Amino acid sequence: MRLTLVTLVAVFASAANSAAQDKVTVYKGARILPAGAAAIDGGVLIVQNGKIQSVGGASTPLPADASIVDCTGKTITPGLVDASFRGSNNTNDLNEQSDEVTPHLRVLDCLDPADPVFRAARRGGVTSVHVMPGTRNVIAGLGCAVKTWGSDPAKMVLARDTSLRIVMGSEPSLGNRAIRGGRVESMYYRRPTTRMGVVWEARKAFYDAKEDMTLNAPPSGSAPGREILKQVLQGKLTAYTTARSEQDIRTALRLAAEFGYQTVIDDAQDAHYVIGELADAKVTVLLGAPSATAVSGTAGRDGADPRGATAVLLARAGVPFVITTGSNPDALDLVREAMFAARNGLLPERALDAVTIEPARLLGIDARVGSLAAGKDADFVIWSHHPLDPAALAETVCIDGLEVQSQ
Amino acid sequence: MRRFPSLATLAAIAVNAAFGAALGAQDVLVSAAHITIAPDATLSPGRLLIRDGKVAFVGDEIPSEARQRARKLDYGEATIIPGFVMAQTTMGQDQDLAEAAFAFTPDLLAAEAFDPWHEDLAALAGLGITSFALSPSPRNVAGGIAALCKPGRDHARTADRELHLQLSLIGAARDQNRAPTSLLGAIDMLRTGFRDAKQGLQGGTDIAVLRQVLDGSRRAFIHASDYTELNAALDLAKEFAFEPVLVGAAEAEKVLGRLVQQKVAIVLGTLRPEMRLAELQLPATLARAGVPFCFAGDPGQLRLSAVLAIRHGLDRKLAQQALTRTPALFLGQQASIGSLRQGCAADFTVWSGDPLDLTSSLLATWVDGVRLEGDQPAGAR
Repeated sequence: MRLTLVTLVAVFASAANSAAQDKVTVYKGARILPAGAAAIDGGVLIVQNGKIQSVGGASTPLPADASIVDCTGKTITPGLVDASFRGSNNTNDLNEQSDEVTPHLRVLDCLDPADPVFRAARRGGVTSVHVMPGTRNVIAGLGCAVKTWGSDPAKMVLARDTSLRIVMGSEPSLGNRAIRGGRVESMYYRRPTTRMGVVWEARKAFYDAKEDMTLNAPPSGSAPGREILKQVLQGKLTAYTTARSEQDIRTALRLAAEFGYQTVIDDAQDAHYVIGELADAKVTVLLGAPSATAVSGTAGRDGADPRGATAVLLARAGVPFVITTGSNPDALDLVREAMFAARNGLLPERALDAVTIEPARLLGIDARVGSLAAGKDADFVIWSHHPLDPAALAETVCIDGLEVQSQ
Repeated sequence: MRRFPSLATLAAIAVNAAFGAALGAQDVLVSAAHITIAPDATLSPGRLLIRDGKVAFVGDEIPSEARQRARKLDYGEATIIPGFVMAQTTMGQDQDLAEAAFAFTPDLLAAEAFDPWHEDLAALAGLGITSFALSPSPRNVAGGIAALCKPGRDHARTADRELHLQLSLIGAARDQNRAPTSLLGAIDMLRTGFRDAKQGLQGGTDIAVLRQVLDGSRRAFIHASDYTELNAALDLAKEFAFEPVLVGAAEAEKVLGRLVQQKVAIVLGTLRPEMRLAELQLPATLARAGVPFCFAGDPGQLRLSAVLAIRHGLDRKLAQQALTRTPALFLGQQASIGSLRQGCAADFTVWSGDPLDLTSSLLATWVDGVRLEGDQPAGAR
């Protein structure tokens, strides 16, 4: 019954959508925080055909036949962008455990638009996300940027193959040990079982790919992942290295420097210990859940020491960073994570940029999303209060001009 | 495992001997108030002339001389329809139909695991099932090649050793102790196999089977149940340009548009009264969208599944078709099973009324012109 209703709602919504999209809609009277530009009081946001026609002050001329939505007392921001988002709570299906190095696996192949994680994201005002395969492999596979609403993954896609996820630390080695008295012939009796082994797996993969390139070997059919690694080495694809503790962040930077590839440091809980190195390496840092007090998902083995002030320290040192919910299952809503960073001293404008335009730029999807500007997708949120106010509620969430969430 | 003929079998042989070379040599003329030859052709009253296990003539086409000579069986007011065809089953032999060490075994033959004496087979005739595709288990991503089997008087037989290739993306195909452990890995395993088959990068008997799917000479059945599995199966089919049959497809209504667009057929699992309404309505939904489908799943619930589908909006004729003609079509066996046209096997069931009315009872089941179930009608001469 539930599914039928969902289907019916989707059908009606898309029918209503095409009709609603042709019409011009004006959202009027709200305080508009366009991201990357100055705030506009009593602003006007004009939307048609799923795109933003214009954003401006109270004097903006209104089209004659427009339907007007009065937003007085509300705040409008772009839809939030989460640059490191768990695409499903079913982690088994996002982690292929039969091999540690699987660069060619695409997380896009198994996204479900009806997964509750997308609904939860929309409820929190998140309209675009970057999803990567899970964190149990050394080289996990290809990530993609998608919207949080759509009838099928192909229609949600903003950018395919945005990233190659690499994971440092102890997590990929979990489970890879010979259980005392257990079956030695198990496929889990393999490297890596240590941090050293994790790095070795990654280094070997890149070494082999580099050797292939040096020898000018023809594309290897039996190792499809190698072509992906070559793209990373050639600078055509960005690596996202998940590295939480200080030593793992250092390792991630060293490995990238060793092979000369570009990387983003994902879920950098200990970034505050290595600010100098991060600045020197000119990498972007994804701060997974600034509110986290412990690193989840690794049984505390990684010993990271997250601090609330990390975002401010990065901002002061000029290290580009983005706030995400990361792989931390205890993360708050993205907007609450931004609020937490602001609570710890980050300028509110910077905190908002760090969940809107900054992640959009990082992912190369800023021509369509991440800020409110004429010509961009009409992805926006009408908040009851300033979004960084603890009482803020995402009252209306629109994606491509269509209302996908209201409360 | 019944290696020695039972008393019943011995008795049957004795009876056969007593009535002379009856069934083998002599034609049989079966008549009943209604005989459904094919979904769009019902004869009332109807007659079939059976010769050598096949339907030799139907209705008025029966030559009068043959009619005279034949042994006559009159089922009176009963309704005769083609026997039920199950397009997918492991028939209680699941253990023997999944090579456990490795999930990519497209070159295994289910026919070679088939136990014609398996006790579960004895019940089939009583359920109206006259042929079934014994399929490799969905526990392997590429399980192997299915076989067409038929129940018989004392033991079953294989009618066609090689049907379609059975693939699977469902949860059962993912195992934390061997590759693949995840849906991502399962998709990759098939994609790598098909890509190698397409590019000729790998040889071997396993890749050769996938190549047959790509060149259209062998059909692929893919077990896929929830949205992500169905979407992945459809993506693979699109990428490698083949038209699969999807098995299970519990969430098919979510990908209805793509099913139509990619000309995909569906083998449904068992319907049970306690299921979600959307699942019970799925057959009617598929019929409205023009997606061909048939019923499979638990053999004991096959007829009930069709009845439930009717209860939830499916046309009665389509429901009957989805038990007979459609599965035969999916298996590429429409020339021999699924209907009672001239030349088809004489596989039929005799019912006291409408077969999809639960108050009707099964009076007899015939396979290859041999009565496996039910008594001789009173009017036999």
